[in-house]
Amino acid sequence: MSGRTGSTSPTLTAGPRHGAGHVGGHLTGPAPAAGVGPPARPTPEDARARFFAPDPARVTADLSVRLGSLLLDSPVMPASGCFGPELEGLLPMDRLGAVVTKTVFSAQRGGNAAHRLSETGMGMINSVGIPSPGVPGFLRDVLPRYHATGRPVVVSVGGLRPEEYAEVAEELGDAEYAALEINVSCPNLEHGGTEIGADPEAVARITREVRHRAGGRPVWVKLAPMVASVTEVARAAHRAGAEALVVANSYPGMVVDPGTGRPVLGNTVGGVSGPAVKPLSLRLAWLVAQAVPVPVIGCGGVSTAQDALDYLRVGAAAVQVGTATFARPQAMAEIVRELDDRCAGAGVAKLPELVRPGGDHEDATTPTRHPGRSADDRPSRGNG
Amino acid sequence: MSVPNGWTLAPVGGPRPGSPTWDRAEVVENAPVGDRHYRMRLAAPTITASARPGQFVMVSVPEETSVRAVLPRPMAIHRRHPTDGQVEIVYGVRGVGTQALSQVPVGGALQVVGPLGRGFDLAPETRRLLLVGRGIGVCSLMTCAEDAVAAGVEVTAVVSARTRDALVGASDYRELGISRLIEVTDEEGDSDPHTVGALLRDALDEAPAQQVLTCGSERLTALCARLADRWAATLQVSLEAHMACGLGYCHGCATAATTAASESALICADGPVFAVRREGRVSARG
Repeated sequence: MSGRTGSTSPTLTAGPRHGAGHVGGHLTGPAPAAGVGPPARPTPEDARARFFAPDPARVTADLSVRLGSLLLDSPVMPASGCFGPELEGLLPMDRLGAVVTKTVFSAQRGGNAAHRLSETGMGMINSVGIPSPGVPGFLRDVLPRYHATGRPVVVSVGGLRPEEYAEVAEELGDAEYAALEINVSCPNLEHGGTEIGADPEAVARITREVRHRAGGRPVWVKLAPMVASVTEVARAAHRAGAEALVVANSYPGMVVDPGTGRPVLGNTVGGVSGPAVKPLSLRLAWLVAQAVPVPVIGCGGVSTAQDALDYLRVGAAAVQVGTATFARPQAMAEIVRELDDRCAGAGVAKLPELVRPGGDHEDATTPTRHPGRSADDRPSRGNG
Repeated sequence: MSVPNGWTLAPVGGPRPGSPTWDRAEVVENAPVGDRHYRMRLAAPTITASARPGQFVMVSVPEETSVRAVLPRPMAIHRRHPTDGQVEIVYGVRGVGTQALSQVPVGGALQVVGPLGRGFDLAPETRRLLLVGRGIGVCSLMTCAEDAVAAGVEVTAVVSARTRDALVGASDYRELGISRLIEVTDEEGDSDPHTVGALLRDALDEAPAQQVLTCGSERLTALCARLADRWAATLQVSLEAHMACGLGYCHGCATAATTAASESALICADGPVFAVRREGRVSARG
C-alpha cells in the first residue's frame, strides 16, 4: 500500500492531510515461534485490523464480470464522487472491480457554496458542485493515487458545455486509465437551463467525441435519472458507441430548513442519493437493461449484497456504491465478501449461478417472479 | 462560520495527524447529562491511543434502526482514557440520528472512524492556556486540558451555555484540576461577550495566556480574537460542519460561503481546527 503523498485539491494546506498510510493490514506483530518465551505484548487490535487480516478459511467465489472489453474481478465499484484514495487503509481495495474518480473538468473548479450536503429521509442530498483540480492537476496529483489502489481506474469526465467533455478526453491523452465514464447528468451543477443528460442528441454527440479521443479504450455513460425517456437516452448513448451504461445518477431535489424557512443547500437544489432512491434506480436499470445490448451498471442505494443482487437480477452486470461508504468505509469490501459467502452457501462457484433467481439459498422458497420484458418508459404510458 | 472582521483562517501548525482507523466500538456508557445531552463512552483502544487534542470521530447510526440515517455524525473526542482504551463523546439529541444513538444500550456496538482531522496545536513553550467553549463546543477543548494539565500548564477555562443544566464539561475540568474555571450562562446574564471579556481581563491581564483555543460560538471567537490581540497570544478555533465522509474525499464540508476558482479549506481534513490570524500578519505559529 502506498503512503499518502499529496493533497488532492487546492486548499489552505500545503501538504498531505494525513501521515503515512497504513503499512499493512496487521497491527499485531508476527507471532513468536513456539517455545521461545512469552509472546510479545500485542499491539491493540481493532475491527479494521481484523477485517484486513487474511482469513484462510474464507472461500472465495469467481465474482468476475465482463463489461464490454473489460474483465473485472468483481461487480462492485464506487460511484464517482463517493470515493477517494483517502480510503486507503480503511477499505481493502483488492477485490473491487474498479475505482472511479471524482468527475474531472477541463478547468479548475472550486465547487459550490456551503452548505453542500444534508441528510434526508433514508438518504442524503448534496450539491458539492464537483470541485476539480482541472486536467493538469488531476494528472499530476490525483490519478497516481488512484493507480496506487492497484485497481482498474475509471475516470469520470464532466463538462459544463458539450465541447468540454471532448476537451477533457483530449487533455487526458494517453494517460493510463481503464475506461472513461461520461457524467452527463450531474444534477447539482447550475447549467442555467437544460441538462445535457436529458438531450439524447447531445449525449450521442458527446459520447462520439469522447470516444474519438479515448484511444480505443471503453467509454461508459452515466445516465441522468430524471429525463422524459431514459431508454431513449440509453439507446442514443449505445448507438454512439458507449460500451456500458451506469444507471443512474442522484435525483434532483431540494430541502428547506424548517428553522430558517430557506433552502438548506448553498446551491438551493442538489442530488438525492441513498436507500431512498434504490427502487427508482432499480426500475431504470431494469428498463435500460432491456432497451440496449450493452452492460448496465446499477447505481442508487446499494449498501448491502442483497441490494447488489437485486440490481444484478433485473439485468445489471455490475453495481456502483456511493452513499453507503460514508457510514461504513469498508462497505464495498463487505458486499464482495457477502457475495462470496452467499455463493458458498448456495453451493455455486460463479456469480451468474447465484444471480439466477432461486440461485441463492437465502431466496424465499416461493419462486421469484422473473422481471417481465414489456416495459417502455415513455410518459405516454403513464408510468414514466 | 464567519471570522471576525480583520481576521482570517489559516492552517494550524504542528505535526500532521496519523492515519485513521475504524472499529466496532462497544458502548460502555450512554447516559443523559444535563437537560439535553448524552455522554457516551466507547471502547476503541486504537483510536484512544492515537487521538490528539481536538480531533474527532465519525459515529455511524446503527443500520438496524428503522431511521436509516445514512450519514455518520462527526463528534469531538471529549475525553481519552488510554488505560481503559476508551473515548468519551458528548452529543445533543437534535434529530432522528442522535435520537437513535441515545437508544443504543450499553453493550451495543457502533461503527466509529477516527481519529480524524487536524487538532489543536499546543506549543511546548505555552505555560498559560485559555480555553473558551460554549455548549457542546466545550467538548473539542477538553482533550487540550487533559494534555495541558499533564504538562503542568496553567489552564483557565470558560464554559458557557443557555442554562445551568445545559453546561457541558464543568465537572470534567474540575476532575482534571485546571487552575481556573469560569461558568457563565444566558439565564444568569453573565454569558455575553462583554461580561466574559471583563471576567477574563480581570483574571489574566497580569499573567496572560500565550494561547487561546475556542469552539462553539462566533461571538466568543470574536472576543477571543480581541483578547489574543490584547495579550499578544495566538488563537485557534475548532469549526463545525455538515459532513459525509470525514476524510476529505466527498468535499462536503468546505469552509467558504462563496464559490471560488480553487476550493476553500475542508473542515474535516484541513481542520476542524484553524489558526485565526490578523489579516496580513505572518505568524510563526498558529
